[in-house]
Amino acid sequence: MEFVLPALILVPLIGAIITLFMGGSRQKYACTVALVFTVATLLLSLILMITNVNDLSKFDVNYGWINAAGLKMSIILTVDGLSLLMVFLTAMLEVLVIAFSYKESDRPNYFYALLLAIEVGLMGVYLSADYFLFYIMWEVSLIPMYFLISWYGGPRRHYSAIKFFIYTHVASLVMLIGIFSMVFESAYLAGSGTIDFSFAFVKQWMPGADSVFQILVFAMLFFGFAVKMPAVPFHTWLPDAHVEAPTAGSVLLAGVMLKMGSYGIIRVCIEALPGALGSWQYIVIAIGIISMIYGAYACIAQRDLKKMVAYSSISHMGLVMVAMGAAMGGVASGDANLVKMGIEFAIFQMFAHGLISGMLFLVCGTAGHNFGTREIPLMGGIASKVPVYAAFMMFCFMASLGLPGLIGFWGEFGIICAFYDWTLAKDMIYLLVFCLLSLLLTAGYYLWAMQRTLFGRITTKIDVAHMHDVDRVEAVVLGVLAFAIAIYGFWPDLAISYISGYAGGLI
Amino acid sequence: MIPIEYYLTFAAILFAIGAYGVMAKPNTLIVLMCTELMLNAANINFVAFSAFTGDVYGQVMVIMTISVAAAEVAVGIAILLNAYKVRKSTNADDLTSMRW
Amino acid sequence: MIMQYSWLIPLIPVLCFTIVGFLGSKMGKKTHYGGYLVILGTAASFILSLLVTLEYTGFIGAGNYYPDAYEEHIDWFTVGNFTLTFGFYIDILACLMMLFASFISTMIFTYSLGYMGGYEDEYQLKRQRRYFAEVALFLTGMLGLAVSSTLLEMFIFWEIMGLCSYLLIGFWSFNHPEGDDKADNAASAAKKAFLVTRMGDVCLMGGLFILFFAMNGHLEYTYVFNVDNLAAAYSANPGLMTLASLLVFGGVIGKSAQFPLLDWLPDAMAGPTTVSALIHAATMVKAGVYLVARAYPLFLLDPNVMLVVAVIGGVTAFFAATMAMNNMNIKKVLAYSTLSQLGYMFLSLGAGGYLMASAISVEGGGIVIENIAEFTAGALGYSAGCLHMVNHAFFKALLFLCSGSVIHANGTEDMRLMGGLHKKMPKTSITMLIGCLSIAGFPFFAGFFSKDLVLDVVFELFEGNINNTELIFALLWFLGIVTAFMTAFYMFRLWFMTFMGEYRGHHCHGESPASMTVPLMILSIFAFAAGFIVVFGWEHVFTFSQVGAVANGDAISYFLVGGAGKVFEISLDPVLELFKTWKTYVTIVLVLVAIILAYLMYAKKTINPGRFNKNGKSALYRTISNRYYFPELYNQLSWKLGYDVARGVEFFDRQVIDGTVNGLSSAVVGGGDLMSKAQDGNLHTYASVVVGGIVFLFVIVLVLFGQFGGLF
Repeated sequence: MEFVLPALILVPLIGAIITLFMGGSRQKYACTVALVFTVATLLLSLILMITNVNDLSKFDVNYGWINAAGLKMSIILTVDGLSLLMVFLTAMLEVLVIAFSYKESDRPNYFYALLLAIEVGLMGVYLSADYFLFYIMWEVSLIPMYFLISWYGGPRRHYSAIKFFIYTHVASLVMLIGIFSMVFESAYLAGSGTIDFSFAFVKQWMPGADSVFQILVFAMLFFGFAVKMPAVPFHTWLPDAHVEAPTAGSVLLAGVMLKMGSYGIIRVCIEALPGALGSWQYIVIAIGIISMIYGAYACIAQRDLKKMVAYSSISHMGLVMVAMGAAMGGVASGDANLVKMGIEFAIFQMFAHGLISGMLFLVCGTAGHNFGTREIPLMGGIASKVPVYAAFMMFCFMASLGLPGLIGFWGEFGIICAFYDWTLAKDMIYLLVFCLLSLLLTAGYYLWAMQRTLFGRITTKIDVAHMHDVDRVEAVVLGVLAFAIAIYGFWPDLAISYISGYAGGLI
Repeated sequence: MIPIEYYLTFAAILFAIGAYGVMAKPNTLIVLMCTELMLNAANINFVAFSAFTGDVYGQVMVIMTISVAAAEVAVGIAILLNAYKVRKSTNADDLTSMRW
Repeated sequence: MIMQYSWLIPLIPVLCFTIVGFLGSKMGKKTHYGGYLVILGTAASFILSLLVTLEYTGFIGAGNYYPDAYEEHIDWFTVGNFTLTFGFYIDILACLMMLFASFISTMIFTYSLGYMGGYEDEYQLKRQRRYFAEVALFLTGMLGLAVSSTLLEMFIFWEIMGLCSYLLIGFWSFNHPEGDDKADNAASAAKKAFLVTRMGDVCLMGGLFILFFAMNGHLEYTYVFNVDNLAAAYSANPGLMTLASLLVFGGVIGKSAQFPLLDWLPDAMAGPTTVSALIHAATMVKAGVYLVARAYPLFLLDPNVMLVVAVIGGVTAFFAATMAMNNMNIKKVLAYSTLSQLGYMFLSLGAGGYLMASAISVEGGGIVIENIAEFTAGALGYSAGCLHMVNHAFFKALLFLCSGSVIHANGTEDMRLMGGLHKKMPKTSITMLIGCLSIAGFPFFAGFFSKDLVLDVVFELFEGNINNTELIFALLWFLGIVTAFMTAFYMFRLWFMTFMGEYRGHHCHGESPASMTVPLMILSIFAFAAGFIVVFGWEHVFTFSQVGAVANGDAISYFLVGGAGKVFEISLDPVLELFKTWKTYVTIVLVLVAIILAYLMYAKKTINPGRFNKNGKSALYRTISNRYYFPELYNQLSWKLGYDVARGVEFFDRQVIDGTVNGLSSAVVGGGDLMSKAQDGNLHTYASVVVGGIVFLFVIVLVLFGQFGGLF
């Protein structure tokens, strides 16, 4: 079964190359070809999903790559409870966004090639177990997104694309320095001549490093990941990028690319730097709480539907941050239950937010395509004109505001559980108020937005006569996501069972 | 035997003349020739060290340098010719359009 | 036998929801676009609930489960090392809830066939379908709440009800037949309802988190409400458990619209009248009462929590009743009266609980009852609260449906445009009269029994002199009596204004169709007779084993107030008991006076109502008309704390954070511009810089070597 993981990266890569050359008269088939390759990737990821989560190591591969001048970089691919759901989410969202954007007519071959190239990078990030490969893949996912925004985006696309690129690139360079310091320090501690970039090597030696060193390295890595998540105050690239990006780009950006940040924090910061966690837990939790409240408040003031949803992503990723902070506290104090809870639900919330924000951005994008505007004040009473759209919008808003019985609630529930446990240990129960406040604010801005867009008097500011409801393909795509949100919401164990083992084994 | 300092001093003087020419002469043809001077100053050093240490690699290097210098001069003069065709001048002060 | 299939009770409505919601368009007019299916499903749920109840109490089937609870569960998922479960839990309280919820729903859905009718165009058909799908989903929430076996599961159903309440209040929020203003109104009312209840819900959630950890990762009723576990947790950290109870009660305040979160319910009347009857009178708002009754052992730990419950109940009963006094909207009067009656329920539960809580002492090992007489007296408060909950469900559903019938016929909700309808719609008029008598507490009607039991319990505390709170309870009792008077007055004001005197409206269709009047008649029977349940030994039906295993020793066994085998033992004593005390006669007299006063003011018109309020110009009248300025306050608060802060955050985001980022990038670009000036294009400059640079570096190297003997 060793072919699966390389294939997960290679299939979209081949797909990207093939679609890229489908210009001219062949471009009308570009979507179909891209769809074939993404579906193939999805099927491959399903092989992983149906495997017993304890047997995942049979997929591991390890090829030598660069082994010169004392440097050892390898192509190590592996999958575990942390990355499995992310891989699945990536594969699924790719299929859905390509199907959703079947109407793309402006240089479609490039469009789909870029989407597939993003998938290559994302899969690489989630699968690689070598810091060098990890870093390269990290950058690979970044560049196609830059082009996607700057070629297919809205009116201010160049500004947003540059902002996105510079922000995340600076962050990833800082991260690279962190990676180098970790790797060199590990080699020094190991006393070996070769500097091995593999996760396993670093994880073996790094916990033994001086704790001040670990704290400093944590800072660099954390900065790199926090910008990607994004955490306040490094977040301003996100609303701009989302507003300008095409719908498909927004979905991937919010659905899976933001998860790279939190994935990195768990995979690198928490796994490899246990000595730094005790000091960093407070800062991480503080940033998480600030992101939650700040993002929620910023949502209330937004006029653009998509921008509102972008800020809500910041708010919800703040929850993930809080969960990771709680888990860090657990690692520092040796509380296995807290670690398990925190990590389990950080990952669950990443998955949940991937599905929900994917749907949210599809819905907002549809507003842009089908009604010609995403401005909340311009809409009103459109539920009577586009009932199916209204139902989908209401559904994903409800899922995002954490309606029990849908997937979003369980992420919030578990995370606040972990956070409460953390505050209990630190004797700061009053901090729970912030979490509860953010839940209230979240309900507030979603309901207010719905009231102003779907309900009330029918708008006269836009042309309601030519408004059209979601078409068949869009409805199917949204329906699939809605189904996933509902089914995982009813039976969260479907996702949690993949994570528990990993989360429990962390301490 | 002539002490090595003599060679080195000579090469340094040659190099200084070349550097002065590059920095001060307006005519690009002279500038080009002055670069040759500097290169040859380096060549003299190579040869001198080679002779004094008995290491033949220094002389190999000199031949290498000479051939590179020949190529460089060919390219340089070609550029100058073209520049002259366009600008009707080979004066370095006139050829400043490649600035910011 | 049937017990094991109790999970079907909430499942049937959710199936109906799925079918009607997704396939309703295929069902066609003959099935009323799914309406029949939903009614059938609801009836099936009712029959199943009835069978389960009968089996639980030992009338059918082999075993007699009463008074122990019947519980089944499966593992759901894990949170860290804690496993959460999902299951159902049947005890007498759950039976009661699902019985009346499914029965009243059957009635109201049948009524809806007539009320929601109108199939003129495609859009109305869709609306019809949406209505039935949404109410079916609502019923899932309600029945699921009744049978759920853990607090978390209960919370899910609790929120599903909240969602359906939101959807149904906003039912007319677009394409309103009466114009855009009404649509705006409905949209804003729906949002308000959801947000205000959400405020309570986050409190409840906070309470759940505290309980979850205090109870070592358990939220099952069998564990959480087990007196031993409660006592252990309380001894470990009393403050935390009190906080948890108060937070749980916060959720109750939101859901049952108690003071100070009472403002959403009157606005919620923007929904269809059937929805008001079902959700905002008979069932959903009762979920709060149910939760307090369910979590009674938790609340009992600290008498002060019970005091809070009682005070909030009493205050809400009084305030809401005052607001009903001068309202002209028939539905709003009923909404305020719902608030007021819910207040009675909490008053009863709180007062009874206070008695019980004072009679016990909580120690590490368990709970010890120190004063059995007090404890038993307190249990009466529990029974009275639950009885009032059931009675109120019947008569309030009836009253709302009657008002719906009136609105249906007149096309208006304003009582000033009604009057004299008794002749035009006699069936509605008579059934509504029964409802009014019942809610007013006219002797032998349902409301009479429960209301007087409630007041009895409160009076007990007034006399009892427990923990020096007699003044508070004296005040609460007085408020209760005054509220009884006001209730009788405003209900009969409503009835006389609507059905007596001259017709003041424009047009009346006459009596409603049979699909509407038949449910009214059935409900009116219950509104009259439901109170007689006390002669079947109601007071002793509730036992506390339902909330935990009967563990060690005698102390716990006193929790079994009635004890097994006492179910449905017919005895007239409680009724006779009621007529032996002078307090009953006080309330009867007050009710009669109120009815006569209403008659004189609104039917015979010998007293002009205007003389009491300077023709609507007195300060009190205006304050009440403006609902004590609560909506104003909430508006201001939400704008100030919500929108204004949000604007500040947005400004900070744009100007400070983004400003810094943009400033940084302009600095880089500007710096680059500045530096590029050095590239003047002159060959000589470049050459000089190169040479100069080399010389400079050379000098540095030399100096470093000279100084330190090396670069590093």
